[in-house]
Amino acid sequence: MKILAMHMANELLNLPVAGITLLVAAGAITVAAKRAQKTLDPERLPLMGVIGAFVFAAQMINFTLPGMPGTSGHLGGGVLLAVLLGPAAGIITIASILIVQCLIFQDGGLLALGCNIINMGVVPCVLGWWLYRTIIGKSDTVPAWRQYLAAWAACLFGVTAGAALVPIEAAFAGRFSIPVTQFLAVMVGVHLLIGAVEGVITFAVLAYLRQVRPACLGLGAAIAGKVVLSRKAAAFSLVITALLLAGVVSWFASSYPDGLEWSYLEREYGDAQSAIKPPSDAIVVVDNVQAKYAPLPDYSTRPAPLGTIAAEHADEATAADAWPNVSGWGSLAGVIGTIGTLVIVYVVAVLLGRKRKMPDHETQQA
Amino acid sequence: MHHSYVDRFSQGDSPVHRLDARVKLAAVIAYTIVLISFNRYVVAALTPLTIAPLTMLWFGRVPVWFALRRVLLLCPFIAMLCLLSPLYDRGLQHVAFGPWRLHVTGGWLMAASIAAKFTLGLLALTALTCTTPFPLLLEAMRKLRLPKLLVMQLGFLYRYIFVLIDQALRIRRGRDFRGAARAPMRRRLSAVGGIVGSLFIRTVERSERIYVAMCARGYSGEPHSLSQLRFRPIDGLLLAATGVYLVACRWLGPAVFF
Repeated sequence: MKILAMHMANELLNLPVAGITLLVAAGAITVAAKRAQKTLDPERLPLMGVIGAFVFAAQMINFTLPGMPGTSGHLGGGVLLAVLLGPAAGIITIASILIVQCLIFQDGGLLALGCNIINMGVVPCVLGWWLYRTIIGKSDTVPAWRQYLAAWAACLFGVTAGAALVPIEAAFAGRFSIPVTQFLAVMVGVHLLIGAVEGVITFAVLAYLRQVRPACLGLGAAIAGKVVLSRKAAAFSLVITALLLAGVVSWFASSYPDGLEWSYLEREYGDAQSAIKPPSDAIVVVDNVQAKYAPLPDYSTRPAPLGTIAAEHADEATAADAWPNVSGWGSLAGVIGTIGTLVIVYVVAVLLGRKRKMPDHETQQA
Repeated sequence: MHHSYVDRFSQGDSPVHRLDARVKLAAVIAYTIVLISFNRYVVAALTPLTIAPLTMLWFGRVPVWFALRRVLLLCPFIAMLCLLSPLYDRGLQHVAFGPWRLHVTGGWLMAASIAAKFTLGLLALTALTCTTPFPLLLEAMRKLRLPKLLVMQLGFLYRYIFVLIDQALRIRRGRDFRGAARAPMRRRLSAVGGIVGSLFIRTVERSERIYVAMCARGYSGEPHSLSQLRFRPIDGLLLAATGVYLVACRWLGPAVFF
């Protein structure tokens, strides 16, 4: 699961959205910097920067996922930092990580930095920290299952809520055509999985620190013996993740009745209205394929299923009319989109993983 | 992953390397602003915008394939969106290509536009970072009045990224040699937790040692550094030229040719 590939790009934004998000992010960083300077000791001054480098290093430690050979997840780190250092230091660290990723690795656009800082820094840190604190409570000795659930929920909801902002920002900018609900469903679906994996790894790190350095977590004393992941808590979190995923998938399905209606209408009025007959499924598939692979649309008399609008000019007004065209085929494309994104993420992860296996050889060749 | 691999071109010497980092940073930001200010169906009017990043790469002696490989590596997310957009936007658009006039679905135009903007923006950013050492870029940010705390953290981050990544890779290799791949899930998970957790503790302790070292070298709340940025006449000239070029690309070009 490579969360890095999900950075917001410049191209999905327009200037007002980019400007506003940059201002909001700048405000958040200023507030966070003030709070961090108040709460951190002066000896901790280099901490946030060096911890940012730690996040890069921690992302090198992969964890092979069960049931998906070849796929490995790694830590994104936002929620972990918020839990360990507090949300203010977490936000500054994530912001500096994103700036370095943008400038050195060119990942994420320069003007999309505002969006990225909000989506991956501010929202996961604040929401994740708050959820973690709420579930953990104030007691000195926390049972392992509660800590696990806290880490899982903080990562799941923090990461997903941040990712859910991407389609909303893109919709406000209006730079591309995928309907916001379906893009939202794809992003939420993919990030529920990423968040769940992140939660498990975050728990593993917290469990280790709890044994070795309980002071890091604000706990009183070290807990003797190994902290073992309770089966019940693991099962509970798996079930909830699955339910949430199913909810997202049914969200696709709920716009599918459009497609069912088409075939119902055809059966009912098939003969009577043959002239303007709604296209059968096979035709729509062909049509879809044609629209996908042929740069020029067809000029047949058949009404186009996705509401083709012959725009006279390339002006924004007609484009805006054509934009929220939701239909059954659109939602199918949403499902395909989720699967496709996962496949691409998987392939990239495998390719990069293979490459990273021999870093020394790579540098020698270079 | 190695320092000299990731930004090996930035240490070079060329006319572009010798330019003031502030000018380059401002120019690339202005370029990106112009790039994304175009409407979502614009493709042809973007062509004049290819000149600037390619020129900068050429004079900076950065191979174009290096930049293009970056584009490929980073494209999956944007490629997915590009491939999906023809399915949604099927409104007809007129395209004038010289004497020919075509009808194209909006989705394809949009996909082409997003892909072109993505490539151009990435080329410009690569041109900036491959011709400017990161410490100079930080110096430029400080001079451009970014928050001091943030710039300082960026400096620490850049300084220690490669140190810590090397450390993490060594630990990972050790774990893999000890047969971690065959261990049951729970053992592997606790191994990851232990590795990342101990890296965290080591990093916190390292940052405390860094602070002690800073104090020993006379740190008193203000970072001191020799400023290596010099604003020469040619920088001013280039800034003006970039301004004229960008205005021409944004307003003159589309009005006259497209």
